[in-house]
Amino acid sequence: MEVGTVVFYLIALLVVASAAMVAFSHNIIYSAFSLLGTFAGVAGIYVFLGADFVAAVQLLIYVGGILVLILFAVMLTHRITDVQITNRSAGVVPGLIIVGLLFWLLYETITTTPWAKAKEIAYAATSAKIGDQFLQSYLLPFELASIVLLAALIGAVVLARKEMKG
Amino acid sequence: MDLDNLASLEYFYPEIILAGAILLVIVLDLVIKNKRVIGALSILGCLASLGATLQLYSGPSGFLFHRMMVLDHFSLFFKIVALAATILVLWMSFSSREVASLHQGEYATILLSSALGMFFMASATNLLMAYLSLEMVSITSYILTGFLPRNRRSSEAALKYLIYGGVASGAMIYGMSWIFGMTGSLDYSQIHAALFQGQPNQLALFIAFVLILAGFGYKIVFVPFHMWSPDVYQGAPTPFTAFLSVASNAAGVAILLRFFFPGVSQLGPDGSWRFLSGVEWPQFLLIVSMVTMTLGNLSALGQQNLKRMLAYSGIAHAGYILMGLVVLNTEGLQAMLFYIVVYLIMNLGAFLVVVLVANATGKEEIDGYRGLAWRGSAVPAIAMAIFLFSLTGLPPLAGFVGKFFLFAAVIKQQFYLLALVAVANSVISLYYYARVVKVMFLDFPEASDGRVELNPGAATLLGLLSVMTLVFGIYWGPLVAFTSQSLQFFTK
Amino acid sequence: MSDPFFPVLVLFAFAAVVVLALLFIAQTVGPKRMTAVKADPFESGNPPQGDARIRFPVHFYLVAMLFLIFDLEVVFLYPWAVSFRRLGVFGLVEMGIFLLIVVIGFIYAWKKGALDLD
Repeated sequence: MEVGTVVFYLIALLVVASAAMVAFSHNIIYSAFSLLGTFAGVAGIYVFLGADFVAAVQLLIYVGGILVLILFAVMLTHRITDVQITNRSAGVVPGLIIVGLLFWLLYETITTTPWAKAKEIAYAATSAKIGDQFLQSYLLPFELASIVLLAALIGAVVLARKEMKG
Repeated sequence: MDLDNLASLEYFYPEIILAGAILLVIVLDLVIKNKRVIGALSILGCLASLGATLQLYSGPSGFLFHRMMVLDHFSLFFKIVALAATILVLWMSFSSREVASLHQGEYATILLSSALGMFFMASATNLLMAYLSLEMVSITSYILTGFLPRNRRSSEAALKYLIYGGVASGAMIYGMSWIFGMTGSLDYSQIHAALFQGQPNQLALFIAFVLILAGFGYKIVFVPFHMWSPDVYQGAPTPFTAFLSVASNAAGVAILLRFFFPGVSQLGPDGSWRFLSGVEWPQFLLIVSMVTMTLGNLSALGQQNLKRMLAYSGIAHAGYILMGLVVLNTEGLQAMLFYIVVYLIMNLGAFLVVVLVANATGKEEIDGYRGLAWRGSAVPAIAMAIFLFSLTGLPPLAGFVGKFFLFAAVIKQQFYLLALVAVANSVISLYYYARVVKVMFLDFPEASDGRVELNPGAATLLGLLSVMTLVFGIYWGPLVAFTSQSLQFFTK
Repeated sequence: MSDPFFPVLVLFAFAAVVVLALLFIAQTVGPKRMTAVKADPFESGNPPQGDARIRFPVHFYLVAMLFLIFDLEVVFLYPWAVSFRRLGVFGLVEMGIFLLIVVIGFIYAWKKGALDLD
């Protein structure tokens, strides 16, 4: 087995094990922290795909931003750790059956589908190429993103301020 | 036409004007104290954008911004629908006591951003644009749903909406990744070419389509992606509920049609569309349509809250609109567009009356409508009766004509079972719509019920909407001509 | 060993060995003398006051949200900066529009007092 394959499976193990922790942990704080492994592992997978810029963004935004946001959300919620409604074990068996069937279906389909594969994976810096694309053929989504950000910002301010007043 | 970034700007005025209005409103909100100006300015921005859109309608069609979006009659039609809904809802918001207590500048900005997102939903020809525009509409919708301060129901509704929306868009983007994996492209026409030339795996294609349909379906509100709608409709500020019920629904239909018709089907010479062979799409949609309308109507029967009842009625109407999709031909699509316009008029009207009654009594439950005809002006009660009977589909109202076209398209293609189920559903819906009418006219008001006041703005809007409901029920020719002209996709 | 992922594997192994070794050493060598003071939550040397599980003010969330939005903006800036020379004035204008819109949001948040920490 090649070294790259071994590393890939190690990272995949990290992602899947952390995701399982998120889903099965009975403490929501543990769930939130386990997301760290998932997010960081996904960044590793991006590196495997030759997407260095996306991997960096994944670390910056997900690990640096969204994870913090989730932890804040957990801490902001009053007495959230006292409530044990998350992850009740009711319905484990039917859940497992459904998930198993879904997994089997996706697995069968994915392995039998002829995918449009890239010629070969080139491990080269992509940010310059992404910059060119953003400002040329993908200009419209790029500018639209700024308006989405603006709307999200206004929404965040309005919704948070209505809680703060009074 | 296939234009690059600079050349596209010439055909991009509606969006530029709307984006400019968004920025202007939010900046002016910081400096101006008079909040009426903000509302007026937003309407003015929408009107200017509408003017630019109408001007483009007679112009050429083509791809803009390196094939990110397309300019054709179909996209312009849905832009006009989105703008009309936005203008009417802003107008409605002037009379709403509920909205008067909110941050006006933010409310208008986010509403306009939502309309801008719908513009791109109607015209996206790239999966990335489709996803981004859908997210834009979703994010703005979550914000406006939770806009009511210190209102548990509003916050709860926003949270539910966010969670359902997150799951649906996650499923959708996963499906899109499958399409990208099979075709190697995000561009609709390249996807079309790759799927029709190659031998795609049928099962993989079906899974991808169902996943994508989850994202679109949650905007159109059909079963099983409807669960969020009753709570959200009830919790959101009423004018925004009205916006959500008509504009968001229409934008969902637009993005769905754009992807499934020019995207992955081929138009035959006789006006029938041929879907990718091997995928049993019409059968699937047939069942979805029947289940959606039946479930919506049956759930509406027991509702006491008018907004909640209209939410379930909205689900039922999504089912009716889907009927036009099942037949996979131009006639069906045309009936869908016609119904969207009609539904916009009558549903906005019904919500306007809900706003007026809530202003007077603070109630949205059906007992707030007790003897409405005898409390102050009788106009709201009469108008409400018109809208509700039109929603049922009784002649000579616009709703009847809309349903007639849908039924005709279905029966011509010999989907008798679907037509039968739809007729049965219309009968069921008569029960709960007529119950409101009965309460308004035959019950006597009690001393504690507030009088319903009409201000000139609301009265004009109410009159306009009811007259349109009546006129399109008798003289539908121009609207039919407009919708049939609008069913033009640019694909080359 | 020409495989590009060999260093990654070494890094993984190194991290695993160091963490496990430290845990093992702490477990076996370190003395364990528990006192009541040691079991208290650590609050920078002061005697702990109140409950650790208080509800955080919602302001933290707002700040985190704003951080995330501007973080995203910087992410968009980076590829533009890399290919700036090739894109020239056109790229500058495009970025200017993008920044203008986001800066309007910034001014809005500032004016509305979302950045005040009182």
